[in-house]
Amino acid sequence: MRKHPGVAFMAILAALTLVLAACQSSGPDLGLCRPIGDAKAPETPAPTAAAPGSSDLKIGLVTDVGTLDDRNFNQYSWEGALRGAEIIGAAEPSNIVTTASSDYAANIQSFVDQDYNIIVTVGFALGEATLAAATANPDVHFIGVDQFQAGDDFLAGAGLANYESLIFSEAQAGYLAGIVAASLSKSGEVAAIGGSGTIPPVVNYARGYENGAKSVNPDVKVHIKYISDDLGVAFNDPTTGKSFTDQFRQQNAKVDVIFQVAGKTGNGVLQSVEEGKIYGIGVDVDQWASTPESAECIVTSAEKKLTLAVSDGIAAVGGGSPRAGNVSYSATNDGIGLAPFYQFADLITDDIQSKIDAAFDGMAAGSVDPCKPSGLCYAGTADPGT
Amino acid sequence: MTDATAPETDRSTPPAATRGRGGEILDLVLLPSAAILLALVVGAVIMILSSPLTRGGFNLALPWTAYVALVQGSFGSFDAIVSTMSAATPLVLAGLAVGIGFKAGVFNIGAQGQFLMAGLAAAAMGVATAGLPPVAAIPLAVGAGLLAGAAYGFVPGFLKATTGAHEVVTTIMLNYVAIQFLAWAVSGPLRGENVTFARTETITTAVLPVLFGRDGHLGIAFAAIAVPLLAWLLFRSTLGFEIRTVGANPHAARYAGMRPRAILILTMSLSGMLAGLAGVAEILGKVHHIPAAYSTTVGFDAIAVALLGRSHPVGILFAGILFGAMRAGSGLMQIQAGIPVQMINVLQAVILFFLAADLIVRAVFRLRSSGESASELQTISASYGGGGTA
Amino acid sequence: MLHITKRYPGVVANDDISLDVRAGEIHALLGENGAGKSTLMNILYGLAVPDEGDVLLDGRPVEIDGPNDAIHRGISMVHQHFMLVPVLSVAENILLGDEPMANAILLDRAAAHRRIRELGESFGWKIDPDEPVGNLSVGWQQRVEILKALYRQARVLVLDEPTASLTPQETREIFEVLRRLRAEGHAIIFISHKLYEVLDIADRITVIRRGRVVGSRIPSQTDEDDLAELMVGREVQLTVDRGESHPREPMLVVAGLRVNDAKGREVVHDVDFQVRAGEIFGIAGVAGNGQDEMVEALMGLREVTAGRVTIGGWDATGASPRSLHQRGVGFVPADRHRYGMVLSFPLTDNLALNEYYHSPYARGMVRDEAAIRANAERIIAEYDVRTPSADVPGSSLSGGNQQKLVVGREFDGELSLLVLDQPTRGLDVGSIEFIHRRAIDRRDAGVAVLLVSAELDEILELSDRIGGMYGGRLAAVLDARTANREEVGLLMATGGREAVEAVQERAS
Repeated sequence: MRKHPGVAFMAILAALTLVLAACQSSGPDLGLCRPIGDAKAPETPAPTAAAPGSSDLKIGLVTDVGTLDDRNFNQYSWEGALRGAEIIGAAEPSNIVTTASSDYAANIQSFVDQDYNIIVTVGFALGEATLAAATANPDVHFIGVDQFQAGDDFLAGAGLANYESLIFSEAQAGYLAGIVAASLSKSGEVAAIGGSGTIPPVVNYARGYENGAKSVNPDVKVHIKYISDDLGVAFNDPTTGKSFTDQFRQQNAKVDVIFQVAGKTGNGVLQSVEEGKIYGIGVDVDQWASTPESAECIVTSAEKKLTLAVSDGIAAVGGGSPRAGNVSYSATNDGIGLAPFYQFADLITDDIQSKIDAAFDGMAAGSVDPCKPSGLCYAGTADPGT
Repeated sequence: MTDATAPETDRSTPPAATRGRGGEILDLVLLPSAAILLALVVGAVIMILSSPLTRGGFNLALPWTAYVALVQGSFGSFDAIVSTMSAATPLVLAGLAVGIGFKAGVFNIGAQGQFLMAGLAAAAMGVATAGLPPVAAIPLAVGAGLLAGAAYGFVPGFLKATTGAHEVVTTIMLNYVAIQFLAWAVSGPLRGENVTFARTETITTAVLPVLFGRDGHLGIAFAAIAVPLLAWLLFRSTLGFEIRTVGANPHAARYAGMRPRAILILTMSLSGMLAGLAGVAEILGKVHHIPAAYSTTVGFDAIAVALLGRSHPVGILFAGILFGAMRAGSGLMQIQAGIPVQMINVLQAVILFFLAADLIVRAVFRLRSSGESASELQTISASYGGGGTA
Repeated sequence: MLHITKRYPGVVANDDISLDVRAGEIHALLGENGAGKSTLMNILYGLAVPDEGDVLLDGRPVEIDGPNDAIHRGISMVHQHFMLVPVLSVAENILLGDEPMANAILLDRAAAHRRIRELGESFGWKIDPDEPVGNLSVGWQQRVEILKALYRQARVLVLDEPTASLTPQETREIFEVLRRLRAEGHAIIFISHKLYEVLDIADRITVIRRGRVVGSRIPSQTDEDDLAELMVGREVQLTVDRGESHPREPMLVVAGLRVNDAKGREVVHDVDFQVRAGEIFGIAGVAGNGQDEMVEALMGLREVTAGRVTIGGWDATGASPRSLHQRGVGFVPADRHRYGMVLSFPLTDNLALNEYYHSPYARGMVRDEAAIRANAERIIAEYDVRTPSADVPGSSLSGGNQQKLVVGREFDGELSLLVLDQPTRGLDVGSIEFIHRRAIDRRDAGVAVLLVSAELDEILELSDRIGGMYGGRLAAVLDARTANREEVGLLMATGGREAVEAVQERAS
C-alpha cells in the first residue's frame, strides 16, 4: 500500500503532541487544598416573611439552554421563583426548559398563552425575546435574570412598566473576592482569569477583584488574563479553560489564588487549580456546591444572590408594586456577596473577616468604590488585562 | 400466479423481496406508526414509574395529562398548529437534506454545520442589505444562505469523490469547524454594534414576513414547496433516478453510464443546500439575528426525521411535523404536567430504537406472515454468516 | 417428511410433498428455481413451519424449532452461497455458533483446532485451521462448509446446489467426499438442477415442480432428457439446434490487452483475439483466470493498462459504458446483482437502466413513465420474464427470471456486439435453453457475440470458435466444429499447451 506522506506527517504530529502532553506536568503543586470533610452547602432558608396571604398569580419560568438542576443560573433562579411563590402564597410555579436558542420566544409565549401573570426568564440570551414579549403583553409581568436593558436611562431601561431586569454589581462581588485572595496568598501573586475582555460583567468582576486585592495589600501582584474573544471558547469550553490555566500556572508559578470569571470555560480553570492544589475562587453562584469535582480547592465564590433577587421580584408583584427597568443588586440590598468558606473557614481570621465586612458595608454606604479611581470598571472598550 | 412469485427466493435477495407493493406500504407507514405507538407506551411507563419523584406524587394518569397537553400545545388551537408548523419547518428541510443523502447512499451528518453556515451567511447578508426593500433583501439573504449551505455540503462530497474520505468523518469535523467559525465571525467581524452579547445586528428588511398566525413565516412555505419538489426530483426526473441508482447500486450506476462521483458531489451539495435552507428559515424567519453560540439540535434531529420518514419526502414531511409537534407541544406539557422537556428526547430516542430494531416491532404487532419470517431470518442469518448480498 | 404442505399468500409452495432419506443414502432433490425445494428444506431446517404434514426423524415426529434445534438434532445444511465469514479463520468459522469452552470465559482453541485437523485428515485434506477463509478457493470453502456440518456431528446433511461454483475437478472431489459420507452412514439430501451431476451421485432422485412431487427415479432407470422433461413439465431440448454461422468482418478486435485487478496486479497479460460479426467466440476458463477483469475492461468498467480495443473500426479502448452502449454493445455481466440490475428497483426502471436519459424515456430531465412502462412490458413479454407485474422490485424475481430481464434489456435493439459473461450460471434448464436460443438468434442476425463461460457444455454448445483462458493468457483458439470436450477441458485447465499438442497430434 502506498503510504501517504501527509498521513504519516499527521501521525507523527499527533504522537509528538501526546508525548509533549505527557511530559508537560500541569505546573507546580502547592498543596494548598483540603478535603471537604463533612461540610455541606446551606439549605435554602425558609422564607422569613412567609406572608400567609394567598395569591392567584400564576408564575412561570423559562430557563436558558441547559437543564433545570444545573446548580447555576437556572437552578438558583428557579429556587427564587419557588420562594417568591411561597412568599406571596401563589401556586407552585411551572417551568419550561429551553433546548435550542430558537425556542426562547415560543417558550415564553407558551406561558403567555396559558395566562400566566409573572414570567421569569433566565440569562442574558433571553433578553431580546423577553423584551419583545413584554412589549406585546403589557398585562404580564416579566422578570429577566441577568438581562441588562439598554435605554436612555440607566435604571429605567427600555421604559416598560412590566419588565424588570435583575442586574448585579459584579465589581462589588469581585472586590470581596479580591480581599480574600490577597489575604490568603502566601506569595503575594494572585490572578483572575476571565472569558473575554469584551464583556462588561467579566471586566467588572476582574477589575473589582484587582481593587479589592490591592486594598488589603498594595504590593500584591494581580494578573488579569482573558482567554479568548471568541465567545464560544470564552464561556463554553472547559478544555481550553484548563489548558489556558495550565499554561498560565507554568509561567507564573508563584500565583497561588485564581479567580475564575469564565462561565463553563471557568470550570476548566478550576480543574487546573485543583491539579495545582492552589486556591480557587468561583463566580456567580456557590461553585463549591455546583462544581463538586473542584470543591477541595474552592475557597469561596463571588456570588450573585439570584434566589433572593427573583423572589424579591415576585414578592413585589404580589405586593402590588411591581418593579420595572434595571433593578440593581449590590451590597446595598444584599444582592451580592461571598459564598461560605466551608473547609477553609479557619483560614479566614477575624482580621480578614472584618476587612470583608468593612468593605461590604463601605460599598453599601457608597464610601468604597470597587472601580477605583473612575467608578467605572468597564471603560467601554475591551480590557487588555494585566 | 406464476411460480416466479413463489416465496422460495434466492437467499441473496433482501428482505423486501417477497413483499412488493404491500411491503413498501408496510415499510413506509406501518412500521413507523408502530414505532411511534410503542414509544408512547414506553414514555407512559417511564412517566408513571418516575411520578413518585415529582411534586404530584405517584400518578397513573400522568401520561394522559402529559400527552393531552402535548397534543393541545401542538394541535389544540390555530396558534398551536402554526407553531407546530414553524417548529417542523427546519426539521422537514434538514430531514430532506439527510434523506436525499440516504437515497444516494451517503450519510450526511453535517446538516448541523450546513445549517449554521447558511444561517450565518443569511444573517450577514440580511444585515448588509438592511437598506434595501424586502423584495430585494429577502432573495439576496436567502440566496446567500442557500449558497453557503450548498458549498458546505459540496466540500465533503468533493472530498469523498476525489480522495475517498468518508463523509461521516468529514461532515462531523466540518460541524465543529462551523460552530467555531460562527463563534469567531459573530464575536469579531460580524458582531453587532449595540448589542449586549455577541450576535449580529438585528435583521430588518430581509426578515421573512409572517404570512399567517403568530409565527407562520415564509419559511414554512419553503418547506411546503420543497417536499413535492424533492419528491418530483427523486422519482420523476432523470437526475433523481441517477441519485437513487447510485445509492442502491453504484456498480450498476456506472455500467448504466452514470457518473457516481459527480452524482455524489451534486447530491451532497443539494443536501447542504436543503440543510442550509433550514438554517435560513430559522434565522430569517424566527430568530432575526444569529448569536455567536447558536444552540440547536436540528442537524441531529434531522437524521431521526429522515430515518423515521424512511428517506421518502412525504414520510419526512410527516416525521418532521411529528417531531415539530413534540417540540411545539413540549412547553405546554412542561407547564401542565410538569414533565421535563427531556421526555421528548426520550420519546424520539425510543422511536428510533424501535425503528432500528424493526424486528421487535414486527414481533409485537405480528406485522408479518410466517412466510416472511422465514425469509427475514434467512436474510439475517445470511448476513450473520457473511453470505448475504454482496 | 410426510405430506408436507406449506402455503404462502397466493401460492402453495409445497403441496403434499413426502420425501424420505435413509442413512447411507444420497437422495437428490431436483427442481427448477421456484419449484419449492428451498421451502421444503427450510421446513426441515426449522426456518419455516409447515401448514400440514409432519417431519419424522428416526421414525418419530419432531417439531424443529429453528436452525439451532435442527443442528442439535443432527441436521446440517450446506448452503449454495456459503455462510462463511471471509475474515475469520477456518476454525473460527467452524466454531461459530458452537464455541467450545475451556471454562466459563475462554475458548478451548487448541482442542478445537486438533479436532478440525483430524477431521480434515480423515478425508486426506490438509487444512490449516488458522487460515482466513477469504484466502481459500471456492472448492476449499465448500469443504470447510462440509467440515462445519460434520464437526457438529450431522447425521442428516442437506447440500443446496453445492457445485454451483465449482470446477469439474472440484466437483469430482466433493463427490468423492459425499460417497465416503454415504458409506459412513450419513443421510444426504442433494439439491441441484444439474442433471448429469444428479445422475452421477444420487441413489434416488425426487423431482418436484410447482410445489408437487412429479416423479421419483433411480439413476439407472432414467436419463437427462427424462429428468429435464419431469422438471420443466414439457419436452426440453438440452442442446439448442443451431445452423452454420456466417461470419463476416471482424467486429471486436482486441490487441495486446493488459488489465490490472483491484489490487494493482496484472491479471490479463497481452491478450489478442477477434470476434467477427455473425459468430460466437467462446472463451472457456475457470473463474479467477482474468476473464472477469478482461470483460470489465472491454466494457469500460476497468482501466486498460495497455493494448487496444476496436469495435467495428472505432477505437473503443477505455470507452465509457455509455458510449459503448450507444454503439450497440450489449453486456450480460457475470454477476447480475452487481452490474446487471438494481434489486430494489421495479422491473420498469431496471429495464430502462441504461437508456433512461434519452427519448423516449425522458424529455430533458423529465422521465416519461408511460414510455418506460411500455418498454418494460414489451421486453417482459418478449423475453418471457415471469412476473405478476412490471412494478415488483427486481429482487422478487427468481434468478432465472432476473437473468432473462438482463438478457432482454441487453439483447434489445440494434446491436453490433454482445458480451456474455457467464450468462447462465446458476440457472435452471428452462432458462438456460431460452437464453442460448436467443444468443444464437442474435448471432444469426449478424451480431458479434463474445461468450465467456466456465461451463464446458455451454461453450461447446454455442461457440463457433473457442479460446481458453488460463492464468490471464488466451491460448489456442480452436474451431468448434472439430474441437471435442476433452480438448476444451484441457484448454481450461492448463492454458492450452497440451490441448494444442493434442490437436496437432490428431491432425498429423
